[in-house]
Amino acid sequence: MKKSAGFFMTVLSAAAAAVGAVAYFLNCGTNYFVNLGLNPVVMGCAVAAILCQAAYLVVTQKGQAMWSDILAVLPPVLLMVAAITLVSTRVNGIAAIMTFENNAQNMADLTSAIVGIAGCLIASVIGIAAAFFDTTAE
Amino acid sequence: MKNSQNGRSAQRLWRGLTTVTASVLALALSAQPLVNASRTDIDKFLGTQSSKIVTDDGGEKKDLFTYKSDYASTTELLDAIEDLGERMSEEGTVLLKNNGALPLTAEEKGKVSLLGFSSYYPVRGGIMGSSFIANQGTDADTVDLVQALTAKGFTLNPDLQPLYQGLESVFSTEVQSWGGTTTYTTITAPSIGGVFSSKEPSQAALNGANAGWKDGLSSYNVMIVTLARAGSENGTYLPGEAGVDPAQSLNQTDPLGLSDDERDLIQAAVDAKGSNGKVIVLLNSSSAMEVQELEDNEGVDAILQIGLPGGYGFYGVADVLAGDANPSGHLADTYASDIASSPAAQNFGNLAWTNADPSISMNSAIVQAEGIYMGYKYYETRYADVVLGQGNAGAWDYDSEVTYPFGFGLSYTTFEQTLDSLDVNLGEKTVTAAVTVKNTGDTAGKDAIQLYVSLPYVTGGLEKSAIQLLDYAKTDELAPGESKTYTLVADVQNMTSWDSAADNAVGTKGCYVLDAGDYRFTVGDDAHDAVNNVLAAQGAGVDGDSAKVKTWSLDSRDANTFARAKNGTAVENHLADMDVNYWLPGTATYLSRSDWQGTWPKTYTGLTATDEMLAILDNDIYEISSGNGDPSSVTFGAANGLTLADLKGVTDLDDPRWSQLMDQITLEECMIRTGFGGTSTKAIPSIMSPETIQNDGPNGIYSYPLGQYASSDASNGDPCAVAENDPNREYRFGTMVNETVIGQTFSKQLAREYGEVCGNYSLWANLTIYWGCGTNLHRVPYNARNHEYYSEDAVLTAGQGNDFVQGGLKYGCLIAPKHLAFNDSEINRTGVATFMTEQQARENELRGTQAIVENGALALMTAFNRVGITASNAHEGLMMDILRGEWGFKGLISEDFIMDANYVTLKEAVLNGVTMSCNTGENTMAAVSEKYSYWTLEAVGQDARLTAALKQAMTWQNYALANSNALDGLSSSSRLVSVRTWYDNLLTGLQVGFGVLTVGCAAMYVLSAKKKH
Repeated sequence: MKKSAGFFMTVLSAAAAAVGAVAYFLNCGTNYFVNLGLNPVVMGCAVAAILCQAAYLVVTQKGQAMWSDILAVLPPVLLMVAAITLVSTRVNGIAAIMTFENNAQNMADLTSAIVGIAGCLIASVIGIAAAFFDTTAE
Repeated sequence: MKNSQNGRSAQRLWRGLTTVTASVLALALSAQPLVNASRTDIDKFLGTQSSKIVTDDGGEKKDLFTYKSDYASTTELLDAIEDLGERMSEEGTVLLKNNGALPLTAEEKGKVSLLGFSSYYPVRGGIMGSSFIANQGTDADTVDLVQALTAKGFTLNPDLQPLYQGLESVFSTEVQSWGGTTTYTTITAPSIGGVFSSKEPSQAALNGANAGWKDGLSSYNVMIVTLARAGSENGTYLPGEAGVDPAQSLNQTDPLGLSDDERDLIQAAVDAKGSNGKVIVLLNSSSAMEVQELEDNEGVDAILQIGLPGGYGFYGVADVLAGDANPSGHLADTYASDIASSPAAQNFGNLAWTNADPSISMNSAIVQAEGIYMGYKYYETRYADVVLGQGNAGAWDYDSEVTYPFGFGLSYTTFEQTLDSLDVNLGEKTVTAAVTVKNTGDTAGKDAIQLYVSLPYVTGGLEKSAIQLLDYAKTDELAPGESKTYTLVADVQNMTSWDSAADNAVGTKGCYVLDAGDYRFTVGDDAHDAVNNVLAAQGAGVDGDSAKVKTWSLDSRDANTFARAKNGTAVENHLADMDVNYWLPGTATYLSRSDWQGTWPKTYTGLTATDEMLAILDNDIYEISSGNGDPSSVTFGAANGLTLADLKGVTDLDDPRWSQLMDQITLEECMIRTGFGGTSTKAIPSIMSPETIQNDGPNGIYSYPLGQYASSDASNGDPCAVAENDPNREYRFGTMVNETVIGQTFSKQLAREYGEVCGNYSLWANLTIYWGCGTNLHRVPYNARNHEYYSEDAVLTAGQGNDFVQGGLKYGCLIAPKHLAFNDSEINRTGVATFMTEQQARENELRGTQAIVENGALALMTAFNRVGITASNAHEGLMMDILRGEWGFKGLISEDFIMDANYVTLKEAVLNGVTMSCNTGENTMAAVSEKYSYWTLEAVGQDARLTAALKQAMTWQNYALANSNALDGLSSSSRLVSVRTWYDNLLTGLQVGFGVLTVGCAAMYVLSAKKKH
């Protein structure tokens, strides 16, 4: 079956989500943020979103069933939850690093947090856009 | 087929729209906890309020306002601020050199050339922390040097300002950060790990911009050259060439020394001034600089140290230049010719542990091996020992080491001071000195009286500085020929020595002592003058005046008079663990005047913490346990019917109503309020304690505009209501001179006036808590944050700080000393282990805060750094034994801005009297427990020691509030009312709206799908 815009956008969204999730994982190991640990909501939502998107891509190759559309709706929602939750866990650190603790090392540590947040948000936005398209051309 | 395609299109559309609405709904729902957790900061940012206290009192509401402002309007208030800013600069500007060039004549005021980019882009406050805030359109608009000179009638060379404006790109500094690039046109201080780059445009750059820029200099031949070094929190200079940008080849040997571009500019000014011109250098810096070459340069006619003048200080500088004010400032720091050669500078920087561990903020260790010999205590003591031929002082030449000594400052007139009498009364613990000051010149002016003491020293005995400041005062303005006698009453405590080996009143070790021998008191124009007087009295052939010395003798050592603190608490060693040798025996040798060369500090790098040390360095010191007494012995949640307003102004903590009131508080409230105390104290409903706003400083209460928390409704009885159309509602009070300038005034009167004007501002702005009294010492000039601290000397620091704090308290403003203690470097400030002897700690840094606390300060901030290896908040010896014990501190304490919950050490901090962390969060146990995993009702509730400490902490906090203007307008009937802000409504609207839309879109999707099929 011929792939349409929805397919490529979903792949793109999943890739952005993966970047966000990996960046977040790396961020949890940085000196500045190591003590906060890994937030299960952030990682859980991000991974679940990627799995949903993967499943959606596989399932819809055999036809666009109505029930499968939930797999298009869920990932952007999950990624939005992941992004906002990640902001919640990092907001104090961001405030501190941008002001009282601004130095090269802390800024470097902050980078992966920003990439993580941005990755999830971008993935969510692309996922939203993808939801307007099918993955295959009829 | 067509219908099917249309149906599928509709499905896609509704699927997409469902995704949009569901995602926004997810955003709105996910944001709710974030909003709740950040409500405090959101309200501060947006100027909203999520709760308020309503008072329905039948009586006169104005009677509920305890504290009264001296001013009838914000216009009067701002006029007072502007006036004080100008006067502090007049009296805090230090004339370092003057060959008769100053003051300028009326004619000379008409031909001024301002040179150097910092003349047009001066540093008026910290790059970060105590940052200058410009105000326009208010009744106290701020000015820079050009505006101030113009306003004061100077005429400036018109060619130069456009020249420098055209070169902005040459001297601008871009700082990259998330969210964009910040461009500074002033000089900046290096960030941590960075180096200093000279930004002064080269002669080639000036010539390139305008080949004829020097043409006007012959007509405008009064050259004022500004050389600047910035101050900044979270910034630092590094000693020597290592601290200078290696990409520049400007012959700069130290970041606080001059670059070739600066030298070339000076030389250009000297070359251009001609036979009747002048070159005047302004040092726009809060750190002591290396300026020996300017002192030696005969072409430089005058040098003024102006510090960071804030928004009005340049008016004062202009007055000094014109002779409308006679300079009376004196240096608060030693100006060394090679700063990096001081003993303190040998251990400064990022000296990492070999087993550093970021997870516990264990980064570096500083062994302050200079001992008590910091600042002038080193230079003057070593000088004395060279003169006396003792202590293996070596071939050390004072004149090549020091350019300007501590306390130095010239005037347009001359003064003669005589020490008429001196009485030491150990019963009263006072030294009373009568000092006559005579103006022997022909210009009216003020002088600073500096009373010094030289303690008896025997080789191998306790370390003693050869000279130390004991007290000081500023004279009135004395007319030519006028003389006046002043009485200084100094605290003998300030001339005691801490002997860690001495027996004490409780049978342990450690006591303040007065050793047997001769105590020589003298007045001096500066520390070097004073030590020369003492040396002359000892028979040495130096340029001193023995007639200015009074000697008091003690036959035998006195270890009794100061064995107990002012409140009766016995003193003993509490900081033995600050000595690195306590943990790693034999590691450090502290500098001793018994052998200067043999004990000269080496740089202590590569320290390795042992397992025993790591058990403390991990910050998890206290184990919450049920074995710490009976939790039911601590009462919470009682219904005693009191409110905090019932205790308004009650200063006796033994008043039984205090315990009755605090029995009403709940354990939950105590735990949340100690865990989340950032930016404001937040309301406590059970005792009706109001939210009290915190503000940063010290260059003014600048965190919020004047009107943000001000009452705009005069009908509530507030005499300081600020109308909605008040022209000063948006005024930001980050406008005052930096603390070093205030130190340089040597005027307790001005420090008190500053406290009073802050107190008044606090009443108008409804901003009660002010982290505004920096009392860390200038251990070295390299700390870029020195602009927030007064001096290298503890007595000057405590003297200025005490009057500042007392001035605020008069109006119910809680001005807090910060940062207790030893926060003398910004490098690795979160976690750096600070080692020193207890003698050093008590005689230098702690002495700078002690008197302020003993005299009744009600607020205080702790430090980022470790005290020895223990987080400052968790150090029982410092926090409970010294601060709360010996000094009798009864007020509230916040930790500094530490965001790492592992380093906050909340349970240990509460046990040690800290009343609030700096974190913020939702007003729930779940939120605070998420932040600090051990902070649960179940765990803490079983630990009687901890619950008692929590209640005690809240008692201290609310005791401070009850004795502040935070309770103005409150009565027993006041009640807390929740307020829904516009952003609450917006969020709820989004949640409901997008919830409905999501359901609707999903329904339409289903319908479209069914239709298709």
